[in-house]
Amino acid sequence: MRIFENADFNLVGSRKSGYILSGTLILLSLGAIVTRGLELGIDFRGGMEFVVESSQVLEATAVRAALTSVLEATPEVKTYSDVGAGGRDALLIRTPSEGETTEIQTMVVQGISDAFPGSDPQVIKTDVVGPRFAEDLKRGSLYAVLGSLLVIFLYVMLRFEWRFGLGAVAALFHDVLITLGIFSLLQGLIPFSLQIDQAIIAAFLTIVGYSLNDTVVIFDRIREYTNLFKTEPYKTVVNRSVNTTLSRTVITSGTTLLVVTTLFIFGGEVLRGFSFALIIGVIIGTYSSVFVATPVVVELHSRSGSATRAVRR
Amino acid sequence: MQGNGFKVGAVIFFLALSAWYLFPSLRGLSLNNRLEGMSQEERVDYERDNFSMIESIKEKSLNLGLDLQGGMHITMEVGLRQLISELAGERRDEAFDEVLAAADARSQVESVSLIDAFVDEFENRDPDASLSRYFRSEVITRRSSNAEVTEYLRAQGTDAIERAMQVIRNRVDRFGVTEPSIQTQGSRRIVVELPGVDDPERVRSLLKGTARLGFHLMADPGELNSSLQRIISYYEVDVAASADSVEADEEEINEEAESDTSFDVSQLLADTEDLDDVGNALLDVLIPAGQGSVVFGQVSVQDTAAFNALMADPEVQAMLPRDIELRYDANPSSASGPEYFPVLAVNRNMELSGEAITDARVDFDPTTNQPLVDMEMNSEGARIWSRLTGANVDKNIAIVLDGVVYSYPTVLGQISGGRSQITSLASQAEAEDIVTVLKSGALPAPVEIVEERTVGPSLGVVARKAGFTSLMVGLVIVVLFMIVYYRGGGMVADMALIINIIFILGILAGFNATLTLPGIAGIVLTIGMAVDANVLIFERVREEQGTGKTLKASIDGGYSKALSAIIDANITTFFVGIILYSFGVGPIQGFAVTLMAGILASLFSAIVFTRIIFDYAVIGRRMSVGFG
Repeated sequence: MRIFENADFNLVGSRKSGYILSGTLILLSLGAIVTRGLELGIDFRGGMEFVVESSQVLEATAVRAALTSVLEATPEVKTYSDVGAGGRDALLIRTPSEGETTEIQTMVVQGISDAFPGSDPQVIKTDVVGPRFAEDLKRGSLYAVLGSLLVIFLYVMLRFEWRFGLGAVAALFHDVLITLGIFSLLQGLIPFSLQIDQAIIAAFLTIVGYSLNDTVVIFDRIREYTNLFKTEPYKTVVNRSVNTTLSRTVITSGTTLLVVTTLFIFGGEVLRGFSFALIIGVIIGTYSSVFVATPVVVELHSRSGSATRAVRR
Repeated sequence: MQGNGFKVGAVIFFLALSAWYLFPSLRGLSLNNRLEGMSQEERVDYERDNFSMIESIKEKSLNLGLDLQGGMHITMEVGLRQLISELAGERRDEAFDEVLAAADARSQVESVSLIDAFVDEFENRDPDASLSRYFRSEVITRRSSNAEVTEYLRAQGTDAIERAMQVIRNRVDRFGVTEPSIQTQGSRRIVVELPGVDDPERVRSLLKGTARLGFHLMADPGELNSSLQRIISYYEVDVAASADSVEADEEEINEEAESDTSFDVSQLLADTEDLDDVGNALLDVLIPAGQGSVVFGQVSVQDTAAFNALMADPEVQAMLPRDIELRYDANPSSASGPEYFPVLAVNRNMELSGEAITDARVDFDPTTNQPLVDMEMNSEGARIWSRLTGANVDKNIAIVLDGVVYSYPTVLGQISGGRSQITSLASQAEAEDIVTVLKSGALPAPVEIVEERTVGPSLGVVARKAGFTSLMVGLVIVVLFMIVYYRGGGMVADMALIINIIFILGILAGFNATLTLPGIAGIVLTIGMAVDANVLIFERVREEQGTGKTLKASIDGGYSKALSAIIDANITTFFVGIILYSFGVGPIQGFAVTLMAGILASLFSAIVFTRIIFDYAVIGRRMSVGFG
């Protein structure tokens, strides 16, 4: 079976439509992030989160109403699927309340069993993050993201040349920004949590690594072909490189997409946001390798006007 | 085929290594299956008989993260602000408090330690001021430079963490959790992991709060021994009355005959095996001590909960000498196998609070060179101490921190003047431990819980199943896809994929890493990405075939031309893994580890292993391998 054998799309020529698409997506994402914001998880915001199991199905809104008076604060209540121990139902309760964990936990459990007699609520998962600890996690994640981008830029620059480095990093910013934008746009619209927590940051960094993977394979081919077809115009050489690697790009993205979708479906509630970020990231990352990273190199090349410089191998 | 000997050797070597590291985990799996099939009693017996084997399997098995087995993860922070305040004591003034508050605020938003922030703020406020006016100790005098004071504060901070660790370790030990892990994180945090714990309320209340240090008198050995005898026989009668098996009755008669005559402890120790059969509930868990001691007996680590429950009986409590309660010794006496904790009889009333201690340090006897502990007290404490030691010559005084006895030296004579020595210590380590404890009287290090994550055991099972299902489904999908798309070549890539997973697990077990749910996600992701190297190679092989080359030449060309892209693409992802590992915590580190292990393993299996197979098939056997 073969796909894209002898592919000959004018991908470099149609890069303008790529710019329009990417530009629109970035504007939409920025707009969403500015207007709708990003919902931070308790890792970065601090607070308490309980997963409460009950023997009967409880309405999230009803539980929220019942707990608001008990806690004197409005908790977030969501259904938490896939617990399924003996067919019991579970809710995720997030509260901004401060105080002793044990006290708040008792209030939550008591509040639910008072409002819904016979529901036999039990806490099966607790996450408590103090404000200062949250601050540290936030800082650590920021450093991790910036550090990765810097290391990647330096590496690609060393192995290729600065235009490639810039192209790769531009594509990475593009990917992370649009994934964040999609998170911002979709939050509240889909039935699982899209809060930004440590796992999502890990997913972003994986997207960064993955998207780079595709980009580097194309760059590697450009590097090879520029030495091989010295007489041809740069754009033609780049276009040929993208086309010959296209089948590999699509197949690897395909297998990766298959496994992250598997994770999304079977990995459970804990991994849902994480694998969702990966699904979006793989799609955007593949697209950006062809339509962002490579065109940036082409543009930079035609601007700086330098002839095909010998590139290190 | 030439030059492949080394590659074949490498593959066999790494496979054998992985198998070696994974073997205990496999044994652990079969052990768990066997234990689950047993009844409660069989299980206890089996665990006791095979203690060292089970311990070694557990130690060498692939560790499961708390998210997969349920348990509690707690991060605690030592209150350095209070510590600095305490160190300055009465020398504090308004300026000091202001600087400290500013430093505390700064250390919360910047990645700077409180001590550094404090010194920095202080110098910013008045570059000529000297920090030494607030602190005084052996090493700090009026003339000490600010740098020396900083050094001193840092050392005090490290000590405080150590003291907090000590206290936490003991509180955790008392909890009776198997395989707890307690580690420092950074300069002021302590991470405690308690697998399998499902009553977080108890853990929370046990872990927080400042530890209290005090000096207590101990029970009179004679009185204690008769109490011990009474309690033992209490449990004997109790059990015999409730059990109506004939066998037990017979044994009981023998036992009664024995306890009518004088109660010989050494005899009893020798007979513990037999007594087990009788089912004396107390002797099941306690090895009674000999006469003439303040020691009640010894209890093994896993029996502490059972022992506590037996002793909690109000009737039993009433049999203890007046005002006496039982406390564990902080130091287990472990010969081999499970650790045993001595149980000591300590007076309830604190004679002198640890706050009286002003200093403690390790010293050596000038003549014998034995380690000893020097302890100094303030004048008020020295007065009480003098009276206390004077009235209790030749008796023991227990040093109790947080309900645990750290040492119970015998008073050799009245000590006046506030300077005491504790001698006859087994080792320098013991002396250091005692100093740490004594100092916590002078400088308590309050800890607070700043992060807590608890996963119930049922949720752990769900996560484990979810992880396993994703892994299997992901694997099957990718394996099928590769065969459909690349035919023969795809099959070789699939073999590489399986070997790859064995390598990843082997690396994890070998480096004693912990497998978490995000870690499993990392493996699943690796499955998707691992075939990439082979996809790159196969696509190249197809290209080479397209130019009309022979199969052998195409394979050669495919491998050599794809290599640079494979290496470049993987190194960058590996960098991301390193960064994730250094900044992430807990489960995220688990993800980073499997991601990195996956890259290494997949590079090896996709480049080296598949090449061997192709070389063997195409050149060695002249077979034709299709690439779809």
